[in-house]
Amino acid sequence: MAWKIIGINLSGIVISCTLIAFLIFVVLPSFYLISYIFLRWDEVWYEVFANPITGDENWRQIIMILLFSFKLSLSAVAFDLVFGVPLAYVLARKKFPGKNLLEDLVTLPLVIPTSGFGFATLITWTSSSGLSRLFGSTRLLSMNTAIPLINVPFILFIVHVALTFPYLVRTVETKIQSIEETYEIASRTLGASSLTTFRKVLLPLSIPGIFSGSVLAFARSLGETGATIIVSGVSTTASIAIVRWASEFKLSTAAFMGSLLVLIAWIMILPVEIYVSKNRRSSWRHLHIPTNLSMKIIKFERFLSRKLSIVKDIVPLIIVVILIIIPVVVVISSVTLYWSADPYTGRVEGGVVYQLFGPSRYLDLILRATLTSVIVASISTYIATCISIPLSFIIERRRYGHVLRTMLKVPLIIPTSSLGLSVLLLWGASGLCLVNSGIWMIILTHIVFSVPVIVESIIAAYEGSGVQMYEETARTLGANAYSAIEAVSLPLIKGGIFTGFILSFTHSLGETGATLIVMGRDTTIPVLVVNMVEALAIPAALFTSTYLIVLSLVMLVIIRILTQG
Amino acid sequence: MPLVELVNVTKRFGKITALNRINLSVEDGEYLCILGPTGAGKTTLLRLIAGLLEPDEGEIYIDGRKVNKVPPEERNAVYMFQNYALFPHMNVWGNVSFGPIIKEWDQKRINDVTSEVLEMVRLGERKNAYPHELSGGMQQRVALARGIASGARILLLDEPFGALDARLRVNLRTQLKSLVKDQRLTAIHVTHDQEEALMVSDRIAILRGGRIEQVGSPQEIYTNPKSIFTISFVGGANFFEGVVSRVNKFGSEIELRGGLRIHVSDRSRNVGERVVVAVRREHISLGKSRRRGFNNLLGEIEDVMFVGGSMEYMIKLENDMTLFSRTLLKGSSTPLRRGEIVIISFHPGECRVFEYPRRGLLKEIEAI
Ligand SMILES: Nc1ncnc2c1ncn2[C@@H]1O[C@H](COP(=O)(O)OP(=O)(O)O)[C@@H](O)[C@H]1O
Ligand SMILES: [Mg+2]
Repeated sequence: MAWKIIGINLSGIVISCTLIAFLIFVVLPSFYLISYIFLRWDEVWYEVFANPITGDENWRQIIMILLFSFKLSLSAVAFDLVFGVPLAYVLARKKFPGKNLLEDLVTLPLVIPTSGFGFATLITWTSSSGLSRLFGSTRLLSMNTAIPLINVPFILFIVHVALTFPYLVRTVETKIQSIEETYEIASRTLGASSLTTFRKVLLPLSIPGIFSGSVLAFARSLGETGATIIVSGVSTTASIAIVRWASEFKLSTAAFMGSLLVLIAWIMILPVEIYVSKNRRSSWRHLHIPTNLSMKIIKFERFLSRKLSIVKDIVPLIIVVILIIIPVVVVISSVTLYWSADPYTGRVEGGVVYQLFGPSRYLDLILRATLTSVIVASISTYIATCISIPLSFIIERRRYGHVLRTMLKVPLIIPTSSLGLSVLLLWGASGLCLVNSGIWMIILTHIVFSVPVIVESIIAAYEGSGVQMYEETARTLGANAYSAIEAVSLPLIKGGIFTGFILSFTHSLGETGATLIVMGRDTTIPVLVVNMVEALAIPAALFTSTYLIVLSLVMLVIIRILTQG
Repeated sequence: MPLVELVNVTKRFGKITALNRINLSVEDGEYLCILGPTGAGKTTLLRLIAGLLEPDEGEIYIDGRKVNKVPPEERNAVYMFQNYALFPHMNVWGNVSFGPIIKEWDQKRINDVTSEVLEMVRLGERKNAYPHELSGGMQQRVALARGIASGARILLLDEPFGALDARLRVNLRTQLKSLVKDQRLTAIHVTHDQEEALMVSDRIAILRGGRIEQVGSPQEIYTNPKSIFTISFVGGANFFEGVVSRVNKFGSEIELRGGLRIHVSDRSRNVGERVVVAVRREHISLGKSRRRGFNNLLGEIEDVMFVGGSMEYMIKLENDMTLFSRTLLKGSSTPLRRGEIVIISFHPGECRVFEYPRRGLLKEIEAI
């Protein structure tokens, strides 16, 4: 009996410690950001709406920037939907050689540090060493060439598409995989063409996945900082504005914009969560199409199914190649091009070697930044793992688990710069005053987004391996609650823990937006890329981007091996 | 003293009452089957006994000790999932020695018990195999061995043959039962397969909609079913709806639809009462002449089906009712043909009379 009394207390202690750590480290910052607005409303009012010199200039800027951000994000998501859903279908249902590779390529932008990727895209499209080499002109595009109609800079648009594409594709793919193929087979054997089957059977069933994928993609685009800051040129998005204002110490304006973004994230995620959790089959039932029109559509679809099946397979592939592979290849080849000297002027000062070893000693900076990055990634991932393992069990076991899981979605979708700002405000000089800007604050920030990443990975393993059944069996075989977890559950979800650890480590290595705000005088590698671009040290930036990309590719390979083994 | 006893046990999930005031006792060494359709609450009942669920009301006793709050690991009752839940990250040896290791027996005893039990289920040779390398039947034996090695006295088997193909299923039934009996274990075996229940169990409890309909030996359940549901679920029968028109000292007369009358030996019903008469298929014989002392009705053969060693006939009566008869196929007899007119006879003593169910006959016999 004795151990039981201890046991009950122990589980109580573990649960409360986990929940407290979770609330303080993960949830509190974004709440604090919003409460900051109310606590210091006077300051905010003064700075944003009633500045004696500029009046409500800041407010008008906020509105303009938000509108621009929305336009950019909405168009990126629309593009994602048109090409991402077919790709998700192909990945979920078809077997073909090179499928794993294609999946990896689609996921690449999730793993690649965004500032490095942004720089690669920039070089590819606008510089003379990029795509223009193929076409013979000096540069293909200028940084601010806009897409007609929506009036969004082309480079900005394609970077956002590439970075949000994986969120949509992977979410929809997972959803489609969870739908039994029997429905499609039934529909096909009943005489529907593949396109009709897709529209009438698969699409209604995967609506929840398409919904949450779009929200995720939209939120990512809204909050993207690392690549945007490099390619934005004269345009300003909401998350960049936060970085700029924070660096100009306009904290109130930054906080106001930040909490607007957090609120938008909340407003988007809640209805979708509720919709998805209700698991309604389809809300399209009331969408009634007259029979003769529907007959025409079905005929047309039968025609298209025959003609278009290759197009459907090929077009998304081309997009993946253009948006993801080419920039990576270009940046790597440019490094060799620029290795000893600038290939166009022939000046040694414009070469990689000179910049690394020459008087500016970029190599030292790179090494220092590597050290900082690795320390940050290791410590934050370690702490996050310690919180995530018990947290995942609580989420799976307790009735309030789904509430925690919804809370965990927030750090994943709020703009990283808002996140950085909220950590800065909470822990820094104007809040609790416990931590100064610098490496420790970077670690605190990275914990916030690492916990959700690891928890999601553990939960996927947990639900995929039927842990509960094995654990119950162990209990009836004589194991108490703790030895059952130790001997059965943990070994079963080991893979999920490792994958989560590596994902979070990679994420931390590449994070830019939040780090920019909280880093103080310490610098991580992706931030260094931003600094180099700003200092126009292009060869050094090329080298560092390549270095980062290779580092994360290695991580990707490790993840692959882990998830397959 | 019974080994397992449930007293007024109720379990609810939100608005659903999965089990409603269940009373059941299982003797030491007994093989009890819980038989019921899907959703009857069978799994819930087993999980309550295993300690994986706690009852909302009532008490559960194991060995005379109230165990409502006792965790599963202290009950000596091993729960076997339908797919056996062999730990995928451990080999056969690891699975079977799981209980002994967890209970911290000394190394020699762990080895002895594990190898002894593995020999018993004839799997000593496969001790290094992983679960996914074994056939369904072997997996089941490993799961049994694992339970026995853990020192469990009670086996809780949730549809143990559900994951196996039909032929294997029948072979394994007897194996399972003799293993349980040899080891002097107590088994509570859940199934929706009446044939399986009749074949292996010492006693059967019929469960339906969270209530126990009847408990008894297989013969009792078959020959003396207490409800329309039991008779239709175990064995099946023909049902006649009618009204009692006369009661005398030999029995009662029931008037069916279309003015047909039949006689039953049962005298417990009152004149004017609405009743259902059930007659098993094998108690209905077909012939060319009327039999004395039997009910004789005229009908036309609508369909003939060959079912293993017997023939099953579908017959239409004069009042348009359909009924089924099953006769053993003997070497000499030629089967009847479709369209033939026959005399259908059954003995009043084989007729079981039930009160007409409030929600209608069809609803009552639907295997929900
Ligand atoms: N964990 C649960 N939560 C909610 N309802 C449940 C749960 N487990 C069982 N039920 C409900 O209880 C009833 C009995 O279920 P179960 O015991 O699994 O039946 P059986 O094993 O006989 O098919 C069913 O209506 C089922 O939906
Ligand atoms: Mg069941």
